[in-house]
Amino acid sequence: MAIKELVEGGVAITQAMGVTFKHLLQKPITVQSPDWEPIAVYPRFRGRHELRRYENGLERCIGCQLCEASCPTGAIYVEAAENDPENPVSPGERYAKVYEINLLRCIFCGACQDACPTEAIVLGHNYTLANYDRRDFLLTKEELLNPPEPNVIIRAEE
Amino acid sequence: MGERVTITIDGKEYQVPAGITLTRAAEMVGIDIPIFCDHPRLEPVGACRQCLVEIETPRGTRLTTACTTPVSDGLVVHYNSPRAKAAREATLEFILAHHPLDCPICDKGGECPLQDQAMKHGPAESHFIEEKTHKNKRHPLSDLIMLDQERCVVCWRCIRYLEEWEFKPQLGLYHRGGETVIDTHPNRPLAAKTSGNIIDICPVGALTNRVARFQYRPWSWGPPSRTLEPVPTVCVHCSLGCNLQVDVRTHRVRRIKARENSAVNDMWICDKGRFAQGFFHSEERIRQPLVRENGELRPATWDEALQRVVDGLYRWAQENPEAVGAMGSPKVGNEANYLLQKFFRLMVDTNNIDHRWGGDVLADPRGLSAVEAIHQADVIVLVGVDLAEEMPVFANFYKRAVRRNNAQAFVIHPRRTEDADFGTYIPVLPGSEALLLNALMALMVDQEPFAAQTRRLPGGRDFVTWVKEHRPEDISALVGVSQETLEALARTLAEAQRPLVLYGPDVVRGFQAEANRAALDNLELLLGKDRVAYIAPDANSVGARDMGVLPHRLPGHQDVTDAEVRERFRRYWGSEVPEEAGLTYQGMLEAAADGRLKALFVMGADPADEGPWAEEALKALDVLVVQDVFMTRTALLADVVLPASTYAESDATFTNVERRVQRAPRAFRPERDSRPDWAILVDLAKRWPIREAGESKRKGRKGKRARRSPQARWNYTRPQDVLREIARVVPQYEGLTWDALGEGGRQWPTDRVARPRRFVQVTPRFQAADPEYPYYLVAERFLFDHTKMTRTTEELHHVLEPAVVRMHPEDIYDLGIQEGSTVEVVSRHASVALPVQADERVQRGTVAIAYSLPGSPAEALMGPEGPGVMVAVRTTGPAPRVVNILD
Ligand code: SF4
Ligand code: SF4
Ligand code: SF4
Ligand code: SF4
Ligand code: FES
Repeated sequence: MAIKELVEGGVAITQAMGVTFKHLLQKPITVQSPDWEPIAVYPRFRGRHELRRYENGLERCIGCQLCEASCPTGAIYVEAAENDPENPVSPGERYAKVYEINLLRCIFCGACQDACPTEAIVLGHNYTLANYDRRDFLLTKEELLNPPEPNVIIRAEE
Repeated sequence: MGERVTITIDGKEYQVPAGITLTRAAEMVGIDIPIFCDHPRLEPVGACRQCLVEIETPRGTRLTTACTTPVSDGLVVHYNSPRAKAAREATLEFILAHHPLDCPICDKGGECPLQDQAMKHGPAESHFIEEKTHKNKRHPLSDLIMLDQERCVVCWRCIRYLEEWEFKPQLGLYHRGGETVIDTHPNRPLAAKTSGNIIDICPVGALTNRVARFQYRPWSWGPPSRTLEPVPTVCVHCSLGCNLQVDVRTHRVRRIKARENSAVNDMWICDKGRFAQGFFHSEERIRQPLVRENGELRPATWDEALQRVVDGLYRWAQENPEAVGAMGSPKVGNEANYLLQKFFRLMVDTNNIDHRWGGDVLADPRGLSAVEAIHQADVIVLVGVDLAEEMPVFANFYKRAVRRNNAQAFVIHPRRTEDADFGTYIPVLPGSEALLLNALMALMVDQEPFAAQTRRLPGGRDFVTWVKEHRPEDISALVGVSQETLEALARTLAEAQRPLVLYGPDVVRGFQAEANRAALDNLELLLGKDRVAYIAPDANSVGARDMGVLPHRLPGHQDVTDAEVRERFRRYWGSEVPEEAGLTYQGMLEAAADGRLKALFVMGADPADEGPWAEEALKALDVLVVQDVFMTRTALLADVVLPASTYAESDATFTNVERRVQRAPRAFRPERDSRPDWAILVDLAKRWPIREAGESKRKGRKGKRARRSPQARWNYTRPQDVLREIARVVPQYEGLTWDALGEGGRQWPTDRVARPRRFVQVTPRFQAADPEYPYYLVAERFLFDHTKMTRTTEELHHVLEPAVVRMHPEDIYDLGIQEGSTVEVVSRHASVALPVQADERVQRGTVAIAYSLPGSPAEALMGPEGPGVMVAVRTTGPAPRVVNILD
């Protein structure tokens, strides 16, 4: 009896140590993010939001508040206004005068980007969201707009 | 219930009233036939074809539009048959073929019949892949209404509303087929006073509200976001009390739309009620309490300001309660008005309480028997009331009564008003209404059934002899109305089944008020109970009177000089009520001028607006407290200014022209540092120094003791607590509770107040022509006046009444001046300079100036005299004191 247990124990220990030794020789998988190396994320990863623009620089967001309505946590606040026809912010008559996302509420579910009829709001790949001040979690429209300046092509239209 | 017929829909039999259309009948039995052009308040046209159903005819079944098919006995309808369904789907697909479907940016989305129908009845997919036609998406019809021609489904509802309710065909169809668009006619602006209703009835988002544009999403009051709160409330701009829905988001009013109440406004509201939403959050609102220090108003805390008020009032209450007065407001709800008079009667011990600025000095407390009365009337006589400007929705009812029910209308007014276009115009000079009415009654008393009334009712015989001295032929010479017209009116009234006489505020104020009121009361005795009605000017004119904000009446129109009444109130309130009737509004101003009144508390009124004489009087006061929403002219003179909230910031009730008590619930939290009127008054009462038990309220008055301190009765935590007390104290409001009022309000019956029972004789004074002041001043009320309520909404600036003096073109010619040149209008009280405008609706020999223009020129000219003032018009010459035009 005792001999059988001894043999089985020996095998088990050898197996376990095998795993240990195998990994001992591999490169470590810990990533020194964000400071030294970035992590590749999946294309549909849902990180910090971005508000996109059209190629001509106009904002895609039309202030329809559908994202606000679809958000399960009430993280979004949109206030729409009428475009100045001479100097429009977005195509059409309506644009978002105020657009705010409260990241402390957001659960990164992506409902907002699903609801958006113009694909204006998208969840980007930025996941480095730590902040020193609670107020900094309230993203304003200026912070969300990507690219911040009009007339810069970031994602070409299909 | 009228006749009923039996119809069959999809094999099931239904009993429905005869004479209605199939769409209405289906609605009644709970079958929802899709409609676009059909509307319950408009004539059917069958323009959109969305309501196709199959009906059985002797020649087989056929597709037809349900909205144009009247129900008849034995009608067999197939609603869900494949053919009918296919036809409806095809129609919807056609409508959508050119519809932009830009729902995400469309203000109708969420309450859009097209969305709903498409979801319920439409095909899921469209056959069309072609490019949609493009039209103008931003086509302003006016400063207030935007048309998106792409979204229009050409249902004609907007066109028909203007034609059938306003009788102003201001919109039409242009072009043909798929190119058809709605537009205004060249040089005919969309200017109907209730034009905004077309936004509510447009079945798509083609017509949108430019004031509220993009500020709200109708769907967002439902789950999941619930960010828009629709508050069912009432309008406070006139005494009709239209029911409104105020949509609020983030504590801001986003949009106002009509709320249906078939007893009051049906489903309509006027453009002031709908578009004037700027005042709620205006930058001009008073932000915090102000107190005067070294001659300047400076911000203060509530604590400091309230203490200043209490100290000031208490000092004078101790010295001489008769030197203290209070002015309430017909624009403020019942609760605050009730507390105001209670505070001043019990704490200060004075009856110097009134609210009647500008109007209804001697008006009957009953108002209109019911709004419905206008729909039933067969003869309508308007005396000195301009419905189209003062009560536009009611004016539409009046116009419909004339055009649709063939009622005969007579308009007795100093100016040929818009109402006069719908009937016979009888010109009258301001202040001579009684002369005209007496002359009319002189003709009436000989005819049946009026002669019988004079025999039956007390004072009738003497009245007949007396009134016949007012010979029509003399009067016609004086007031310029032909005898034939008066005879025709007398004859028409004799034949009428349900006559209705409506009079306005300017008839019962001024030097002729008593005679006018007597004449109208006599007329009611001749015509029958509730056939003569007073149209009050303000939203709570009726309520303020019911609440006893009157110097001679306690709440519920009870006489303050009656010891029994006072005893009853002593038991309710636990404190003595002062015995003698107090000073009126005007009386308080006069007393202030000669030093008898020392302290005045003004809630929501602006006595300084009455003109320079009133301003002088207010300056003479020792203590002036103003509680208001805006810095009024009176507030600029005040020692303490208390910032009040608007009616939408606290629960309140308002009583409309037909004595309907309606709820106005809190819609958003008080702006800035403002507080609701009722809460401020409760605070003042709580701070009032407590008298020792047994100490008399009044120095030197013996034996009358307050049994317990009156503060004990001021334990109100909510406005509803005040309403509960009102329901106990005011007999007319017996049993009313906030919940019982519901969303439709409740009327109190006319027989709960005294009405005229005997003929009276009051001989009118006639203002003899004065060579120095040859013109009569006609003061007009306009819907879009220059008060802060309207001016704070920028979109309304174009429709505001221009600051002009209107004269008949021939009078202008006789003066040898040009239209547009500035004239000086001079009365005994003031002089104002305004540009002159020619207006044929103004009678010769009169000059018309609107009330509430900046600087209140009309009020200033009238001085303390009221309507009927004589003026001179000067083109050159030395300038006397010119009224300072404030902005
Ligand atoms: S990701 Fe989800 S929780 Fe976050 S803002 Fe969008 S909808 Fe709201
Ligand atoms: S981000 Fe998209 S959904 Fe949100 S308001 Fe803008 S357009 Fe509408
Ligand atoms: S009218 Fe109705 S269907 Fe058309 S865009 Fe507006 S919400 Fe959508
Ligand atoms: S604007 Fe609206 S109400 Fe007028 S015809 Fe077009 S869809 Fe009908
Ligand atoms: S609803 Fe019947 S045709 Fe338009």
